[in-house]
Amino acid sequence: MSKKIICPRCESEHTDILTQSPVPGVWEVYHCEECFFAWRSTEPDFITDPAKYNTEFKLTREQLDQSGIMPAVPPLKKR
Amino acid sequence: MAYQDLRTYLEALDAEGQLIHITEAVLPEPDISAAACAITKFGDKTPALLFENIKGYTNARIAMNVHGSWCNHALMLGMPKDTPLREQFFEFVRRYQTYPGKVEERDSAPWEEVVIEDDINLFDILPLFRLNHGDAGFYIDKAAIVSRDITDWDNPATQNVGMYRLQVKGKNRIGIQPASAHDIALHLKKAEELGEDLPIAICIGNDPLINTVAAMPILYNQSEYAMAGALAQEAYPVITAKHTGLQVPWGSEIVLEGKILSRVREGEGPFGEFTGHYSGARRMPVIEITKVSHRRNPLYEHLYLGQPWTEVDYFIGINTSAPLHVQLKEAFPEVQAVNAMYTHGLVVIVSTKVRYGGFAKGVGMRVLTTPHGLGYAKVVIVVDETIDPFNLPQVMWALSTKFNPQYDLVTIPGLSILPLDPASDPAGMSPKLIIDATTPQAPEKHGHYSQELRDPVSTEAWVEKLRELMPKA
Ligand SMILES: [Zn+2]
Repeated sequence: MSKKIICPRCESEHTDILTQSPVPGVWEVYHCEECFFAWRSTEPDFITDPAKYNTEFKLTREQLDQSGIMPAVPPLKKR
Repeated sequence: MAYQDLRTYLEALDAEGQLIHITEAVLPEPDISAAACAITKFGDKTPALLFENIKGYTNARIAMNVHGSWCNHALMLGMPKDTPLREQFFEFVRRYQTYPGKVEERDSAPWEEVVIEDDINLFDILPLFRLNHGDAGFYIDKAAIVSRDITDWDNPATQNVGMYRLQVKGKNRIGIQPASAHDIALHLKKAEELGEDLPIAICIGNDPLINTVAAMPILYNQSEYAMAGALAQEAYPVITAKHTGLQVPWGSEIVLEGKILSRVREGEGPFGEFTGHYSGARRMPVIEITKVSHRRNPLYEHLYLGQPWTEVDYFIGINTSAPLHVQLKEAFPEVQAVNAMYTHGLVVIVSTKVRYGGFAKGVGMRVLTTPHGLGYAKVVIVVDETIDPFNLPQVMWALSTKFNPQYDLVTIPGLSILPLDPASDPAGMSPKLIIDATTPQAPEKHGHYSQELRDPVSTEAWVEKLRELMPKA
């Protein structure tokens, strides 16, 4: 693929083709290395197109990095 | 006889007219979730859906709405499909109280037929799809997930089988939401304190009972398999998965084995949840899958969640109510029945005998302090023993006429609630409410209740007579 795939959710260019349909040529699945969003080429354009992605669900890496941790990582102990 | 795998259960549903085969070619999105949402519009007797032709896949099949009606729930218990909900509830409670049931360890299982250890690509094996438009990706939301305490590995009592949402993030990489209050979070904490990974088995396409138990609020030291045996009223078959040494259902279609990576957290979500709202995104643990085993042409099963009522509400209705009923009755034998079917028990309706003024409020307080109630019950409605808590018109009548806001409303501030409750503020905290809609008993004496309407004397006999005369379908 020559043109860059932009993540519809965080609009990062750090994306990749995750997989292709077992029946060749039907769809591809992409994923974003920044916000962990994944989407399929055959989904409606309000999922695949960054300009049409629901603004309520836009999410950046910075927002994720500031989000809560669940569950908390406990302090290390000796067995 | 109980169904030992998903295939035989689907065959039984088919024979009872409770399965629709969808043979037309469908796109993974939005067709599958749209159809699974659409079937919920047809009421509480709907069939399961089996998608047999999914674009881009050669042999994939996806089962939806498997638990999505009271008919299917009755058939799961081996009862006639038109069994009234109340009867299903009391039969479920009866079997629950026979815990522990028998567990049968077998030597081999159909899911061992195909094994993949190299170049795992979950997308080739599972027909994954986006469920709701705002979801972060492709989730597995109906898997029975098995883990153990690595510091007490040989103690089967602490083995846990639970259902936690899984976000497939890579070919063999999955995000998991082990909510802090759940058993798997205890296992993860013990492993992470030692800096070790937590072995895990993810079982997909199961018999209907183990999924019901995996989503059920049972106690930490209770065994899900022994509970499944109790509910099945026969030995529940399991097998030890060789890669991890965890006990998994014999009847699963697909078993993914791997580990939760120690001390790793990574962005996960949002995901449309059983609250009818999205969860938001947080940093959560990550699983690496190292072995996949499955039956030939495996069936993939998925749970539909949407704005209630949808499949998830049938799925976590009676199995939430039954433990609460039993725990409540231990403290108050006067309790008749508990309906905790609304959003996993955020609203709970209790029917009870009332011994004296204030008694019903005490019963309501106890609901709030049961293990499940602590994290869920937010509004408790207490009604008289004559009211069937599963009959909402009767409950509404009690609320309409027995309830006086001046005397019958108790608000308790500062209690815990699941953080997914969108009303909680901050997330995880909420005041709670008890509504006493019982008839006041001495020394309480507000209102005028001495002239309640009752059925005419021979009504019951007429019910039976008319039942016989009713036109047969
Ligand atoms: Zn992104």
